Amino acid sequence: MPPTLVNVAVGILLGVALLGAAFDRRSILVVGVAAAIPDLDAAISLLGIGATNATLHSIFVPIAAGMLLYYDTEIRENSWLKSNYGWYGARVAWVALAAYALAGIGLDLFSNEGVVILYPFSDRYYAVVGGFLLSTQEGVIQTYISFGDGWFELATPGTIETHHVETWTAPAGETRRLRLIDSGWQAVLVITAVVSVPAKYLIERQDRLAAGER
Amino acid sequence: MPSSVVHVAFACMLAVGLLGRFYDRRALAIIVGIVLIPELDTALGWVMAGAHRTVLHNMVIPIVVGAVLYWETTREDSKIRSRWGVRGVRIAWVGLFVHTFAHIMLDWAHLSGINFFWPLRDQFFNLDGELAVSTTEGLVQTFVQLSADPETGQSVVDAGQGGTRADTHVANPAQPSADPEPGPIDRRFPIAVRGWQLYLVVVGAFTLVAKRFQTPRPSEIEGE
Repeated sequence: MPPTLVNVAVGILLGVALLGAAFDRRSILVVGVAAAIPDLDAAISLLGIGATNATLHSIFVPIAAGMLLYYDTEIRENSWLKSNYGWYGARVAWVALAAYALAGIGLDLFSNEGVVILYPFSDRYYAVVGGFLLSTQEGVIQTYISFGDGWFELATPGTIETHHVETWTAPAGETRRLRLIDSGWQAVLVITAVVSVPAKYLIERQDRLAAGER
Repeated sequence: MPSSVVHVAFACMLAVGLLGRFYDRRALAIIVGIVLIPELDTALGWVMAGAHRTVLHNMVIPIVVGAVLYWETTREDSKIRSRWGVRGVRIAWVGLFVHTFAHIMLDWAHLSGINFFWPLRDQFFNLDGELAVSTTEGLVQTFVQLSADPETGQSVVDAGQGGTRADTHVANPAQPSADPEPGPIDRRFPIAVRGWQLYLVVVGAFTLVAKRFQTPRPSEIEGE
């Protein structure tokens, strides 16, 4: 998986984009933490439960959470979330869910190490890696998904038995290594996230003052 | 370059939040236009050797424009403010933000990088490396490496320096290679290469859709 720091950076960027008037120190912290939670399955796997990039990286976790959230905020007459935290609570919960699914799971799915996205119904790691380009000589080149027998296939590095995702909690060798940033583009995402938070803070303050004047 | 599609997607993701109350289709269109401007130096490549990734891909423009924009928007009779109001000021700043982060910084980390200090200094820089904490080596970072030259004993700084614009060519559809080979030329227009670029496109699209479905804050809560 890409380092957890990068998951958090993308989560923060999503929070800056979608929290809107609910943006404050507390809500951006909640969203950042939500993006980091999927990587806890590396620690849980040490207890013999599930596997890294599997247990909490399953698509069914955010789907179930989304259904619960929809029931509470839209269907139920007295929403627990809304009666306790109002509009703010509902907004933060939805954005945190998006950060969990997109920044926490999605980023890992689009990396070489892959994610057991259908856990526990399948134990195969899937990875969306490849390229999509237009060439004047070869036409459309698309290698993210391959089509065979009327069904599409993704690249897969193996199953839980054969593929080991190396983390600092479960190192392959003697050295434990906590990766923070792996490459240049990840550094750019982290820097952008760090700068966008104070920028959004200034913007929200300005917008709030303007709303008060109206 | 990561393709224009990737730049636009990342710019949209940033603009949704930073435009704030001025977010609408027109403002977004202006931001997308701004983030595409640096690609114009591709066309300059036909008349000026190594213009791509040099003329408009540097950190001097964001700093100069930032300084000018700060002076212009804070003075008494600001032209932007009097003509377009607070909205114009906001769009200008967000435009500078996406130009710097969604375009120049992303290209800095891609292939040969960007001509960082051009026109003050003609040298390409590429951001690449890693940051990690390990039990045997402690904190390790390889983005900027300091080492001693074994022969002269002088310290050497490696921050990903490359060549000058004369000897650095970044492949692009207009000029696939520096020296055209005989035979049919294969021009390639990348949409997304590798997982993370497609990922940024997906996330950028998601933020636009999610923003559309969001309900505004109810006014009764606003009074609290």
